[in-house]
Parts: sequence; structure tokens; C-alpha cells
Amino acid sequence: MTGPQIARRALLGTALAAPFVRPSFAQGSDPYVIGTLFPMSGPNGEYGKLFTDGAALAIEHARADNMLRRPMRIQAEDTQALPQQGVIGMTKLVNVDKAHYVLVGFTSVSKAVAPVADRAKTVTVNGGAVGPDLSGLSPYFWNVIPLAHLETQAFLPFLMRRNLKRIALVYVDDPLGDAILGLLRTELPKAGGELVGTFSIPRTAQQFGPIAARVRQSRPDAVYIASFGAQQAQIIKGLRDNGIRQPLVGYSALSIASVTALPEAEGVIFTSQKFDYTGGSEVTRRFATDFKARHGADPGTYNANYYNATRLFALLARELERENAPVNGDTLRATLLRVREFDLVGGKGRFDDQGNMSADIQVNEIRGGRVVPIG
Amino acid sequence: MLFLQLLLQGVQTGALYALTAAGFALIFGATRIFHFAHGTSFTLAGYVFLFAWNGGLPWWAGSLAGILVAVLFGLAMERLVYRPIQRHEGSFFTVFVAAFGVAVVVQNLVGMVAGRGFASVDTPLSRADEVLPDVFLAPIFWIAVGVAVALFAALSTFLTRTHAGVALRALAQNPDLLRAYGLSSNRLSMLAFALGSAMAAPAAVLTAMTSGLNEAVGHHVMLISMAATIVGGVGSLRGAALAGLMLGVAESVALQFVDTQWAEGVSFLVLFAFIIFRPSGIFGVAQAR
Repeated sequence: MTGPQIARRALLGTALAAPFVRPSFAQGSDPYVIGTLFPMSGPNGEYGKLFTDGAALAIEHARADNMLRRPMRIQAEDTQALPQQGVIGMTKLVNVDKAHYVLVGFTSVSKAVAPVADRAKTVTVNGGAVGPDLSGLSPYFWNVIPLAHLETQAFLPFLMRRNLKRIALVYVDDPLGDAILGLLRTELPKAGGELVGTFSIPRTAQQFGPIAARVRQSRPDAVYIASFGAQQAQIIKGLRDNGIRQPLVGYSALSIASVTALPEAEGVIFTSQKFDYTGGSEVTRRFATDFKARHGADPGTYNANYYNATRLFALLARELERENAPVNGDTLRATLLRVREFDLVGGKGRFDDQGNMSADIQVNEIRGGRVVPIG
Repeated sequence: MLFLQLLLQGVQTGALYALTAAGFALIFGATRIFHFAHGTSFTLAGYVFLFAWNGGLPWWAGSLAGILVAVLFGLAMERLVYRPIQRHEGSFFTVFVAAFGVAVVVQNLVGMVAGRGFASVDTPLSRADEVLPDVFLAPIFWIAVGVAVALFAALSTFLTRTHAGVALRALAQNPDLLRAYGLSSNRLSMLAFALGSAMAAPAAVLTAMTSGLNEAVGHHVMLISMAATIVGGVGSLRGAALAGLMLGVAESVALQFVDTQWAEGVSFLVLFAFIIFRPSGIFGVAQAR
């Protein structure tokens, strides 16, 4: 065998082996995998884009600020807002993609994936679901959105002040809807109100004319809508078209474009986190300015929440990198509980022992297609 | 008064169900192709109308554009998907999976182009006024009922009084005999797809005005169409139309007696009842084994 032949074979062998060798070299610069379990298709697909836009901007800012030694990348899994799809996606994220951190939304999906997150010790952060039982699901499951009981606590006194005491509830038959039903049943009488009718609807319901007839019969002062996604807009249109003239009220899920742009949604009142994009902290102003420059529109609650969730990872991982500590579920959690307070959009985000971030609540009204804070 | 209100709303919903179900039944009855993508024709027609309306076109131009797109989609499915499959193997399962795949792809394309949220046409026609104490009725009620009646009358006339219509019915009965008489079953199959898909378009336009659209709306339409075809009697156009109307009324009137949660379930209870007690449907013919 001649010299050049050996060299060629060695070269060929090296080339073939290269893909297997490379990861051990490059481990240090491999990106942090931020898994997302969002609905990217189906009737709730609108949320997936909102959530992802917020997370993507946080990654861009972290990169621009050189916050981390390793880049971050998003690994998306489409849940269609369905629990079973969520579990499939979560299993893939932790086992195949080796996600360092997972973002999730929707109460039913969050509850479904939390046990997987717990077993894999992968921090999973919710920025969109508000079911009160999402608190304390697992040491590795955190919330950067105030849960429904906090929204309701702030909202009921407002409704009473407006003399909206007889409330009819139209709620989706899933953990979120059931949670809000439970809250209104217990909290409304304490606040001086009355739950005069409860109307459960399947997630797939599309016809709301007949339900409007039943709602009218209950003679409410206001109708509380506890649903999400495209169905909320259908409910609002269905109720308004079919003679419901009373105020329509709800929670933060109503802050999506397909609701606010709906002519029938004029005057809808709902709660959300309080954000002051103009007079707030530097992080808040930068987020608002860059988001508008990128998307041509003001950011919404969900954009901010998933920006915060992703920024939180960058802040925690930066701390760990400084200490030359590994970035995993245990170290992230330990750092969260040690630092507790972080500079996030909306101001200082403070976390309790269960990983829930506290935030102020504001009451909004939809006026002329825009969300206007009113209380 | 609640019963009257629910009945009227059920008739409006049922009229739209009847139109889509009749379209599906026409295609299935004539060609025996399980056109699962019928709901996609509905979705496309609805969104085309929506774009035309938002673009400032008059309602009739938008409606015609919606019908045209639905027909073109139906024809494309027949020529490019079903016919090649049937040429080789033509099993029910292959046809179903192919149609399902196309429906999913188109659903995602619609979502990418039109956005993944809720969309509706803003029109005063859908806003109800109190016509009797506690009974609200929108002008679109009369339009939905009028359109459904007019289209059924036209379709019935076509199927009974024209050569093409009679041939279409013959295709459902005995395609081999039809070919023996020198008629083209391929052309008639295309006619069935064109007419069936066109029937879904007016329902889509009216739905865009009432309950609105999202990219996944076709699945619900398909479920109702399928249920109505079975309840009405496979192959019977008037059966499917009547069953569509009946399902719409049933899911609305049921709210007089059951919780709102069960409204959609009632449709399928009706379906199960027919499958168990009258499997041949309302107008179907029982077959001896």
C-alpha cells in the first residue's frame, strides 16, 4: 500500500467520523435548548405566535447583551392546546432534544406536562395559563403570570362598584373553565354578588345563539366569559348578535387580536397583568420599543409574559455560568429561590417558594379595537 | 318563549347544516367517494368570501368567488387525488387518508395566509332584534332559510328534469350500466364534485356572517355532514338535507331540557339512535343480506 493511498483513507475515515466527534468538542458552545409547548395550529394557533414572539425577542436581547456564553435556541412543539399533544411534545423535548428549559401555556396542557417535567427535573414555565391549581404542581413548574384567583380577587370589587352583581358565567368545559366556575361560586357571594347562571360549553362548540337565549333567561347584570382562543370571539359575537346587551367581562385571555379587533367586543372588560410600557423600567421600555419595531404593533400581555419567562432563564443561567455551575433543573431552581427578584418586563418580578411570580392586576376595556386600562 | 327561540335558532343552524350535508351526500351518493375534504371546500369558500368582503367587493361577487373556489377545489380533489388512487387500488382507507391529509395541509395553509384567529364578516344582517317578547331574530335567519330552500328546489329540479341530473342519479345506481349506454362516469363524477362543493359555499358565506370562521372550522362541518348523511340514509339527498336540518334543530332545542354542555352531543345521540334503531337512515332502503 502506498503512502498517498493511506493518507486518502485516513482522510476519508476522519471525514466520516467527524460528525460523531464534533459534539464532544463543541459541547461548550452548544445552544441552550428552550423548548416551547404552544398551540401553533388549530383554533388556538393565534396564541402560539404571541407566545413565540415574546420568547424570540428575549433570546435576541440576550444575544445582543452577550448575557450567556452559549446561545439559546427555540425548539418548538405544537400542542394544539391539547393535553395529549402536550405530553407527547414534552416527552420529546426532555428525551430527544434535551431541553434545558420549557415554556408552556394553557391550563390543561400545563397540568398534563407537569408530571413529565417533574420526573425529568426540567424547569417548565407557564406564561399563559391561569388555572389556580397550576401553583405548586411541581418544584420544577413555575408561573410568570398571575393565576385566575388573583385576577378574580382584583376584578370582583370592580364589578361590585359598577353595580354588576348578577353574573352569568359562560365557561369552557376544561380545567380552566372549571377553576373559574369554582372561584366565582365561592368568591362572588363574599364580594356581594350572585352567580345567576352557569353555562358550560365544549371546547369545540361554535354555535352560541341558543346559549345566548339561555343566558338572557338568567337576567344577568354582566356575562363572564371563561374560555380561550378563537372560541372567545365566537362567544362574544354569538351573544351580542343574539340580543345580549349586558356588559361582557372576562380574564386576560381576552387580550388577543381576534377579540380586540371584533366590533362586537367593543366595551368588553377584562383583567390582566399591569404593564406600564412608557413609564416603566428600562427593561420594559426596551421590550416595548423593540417589539413594536419588529412587529409593527404594541406588545400584549402574552408577549411580555413569554419574554419574561425566557429572560428569566437567561438571568438564571448567567448566574450559573458565573459560578461555573451546570445549568439544569436543580441548579436553576436553587438559583431562583436564592435570588428571588429579577428585572423583568413590568418591573421587579418576585417569586415565591412555589415558583409563582407576583404581579399587579389591572382592569381593561376594549375601546375602538384597543385595550385601554380603566382600573 | 324559550322553546320558540331555540327552535328558530335551530332552524337557522339546521339550514346551513342541510346545505353542507346535501353537498357531501350528493358526492358520496353518486361516486361512493368518502370526500373527507368537503369541510375544506367550506373553509376555502368562507375565507375567499371574507377576503372579498374585506377587500370592498360587493357581497354577490364575494359569494361567486367563494363558490368558484369551492368548485375548483372539489374538481382538483376529484382529478388529482381520488381518480389516481382509484385507478390503482381505490380502497376506502387510502381515499380517506389522502383526503384527510389534504384537509390538514389546506387548514395550515389557510392559517398561514389568513391568520390563526377568529374571523367574521361584520354585517348588521346577523344582529337580532326582539320580534316577540324574549324572541330575537336576525335578518340572516330569513336569508339562510330562503337560500337553503331555493338551492334544494334548484338541485331537485336539476336532478329530476335534466339529462345530466338523471345520469348523475344513474351513476349512483349502476355505473356499469351507465357506461354501457355510452355515458362518461368520469365526467359525471366531476359534475357531482362541482355541484356538491358548490352547495357548501353559501353555507360558508352565511357562517362567516354568523358564527364566524377559523381555519379548523371544516372539521365540524365534516362531522355534521357525515352524521346527516348517515341519519338521512346514505345516497339520499333529501334525507341528508332533512337530517342536517333535524340535527341543527335538535342541538338547539335540546337546551330547553339539558345543560348547554350537551348541545353538540345531542347531534351524535341522534346519530347513534339511528345507527341502532334504523341503520338505513330516514330515506335509506334496508338491504337484505
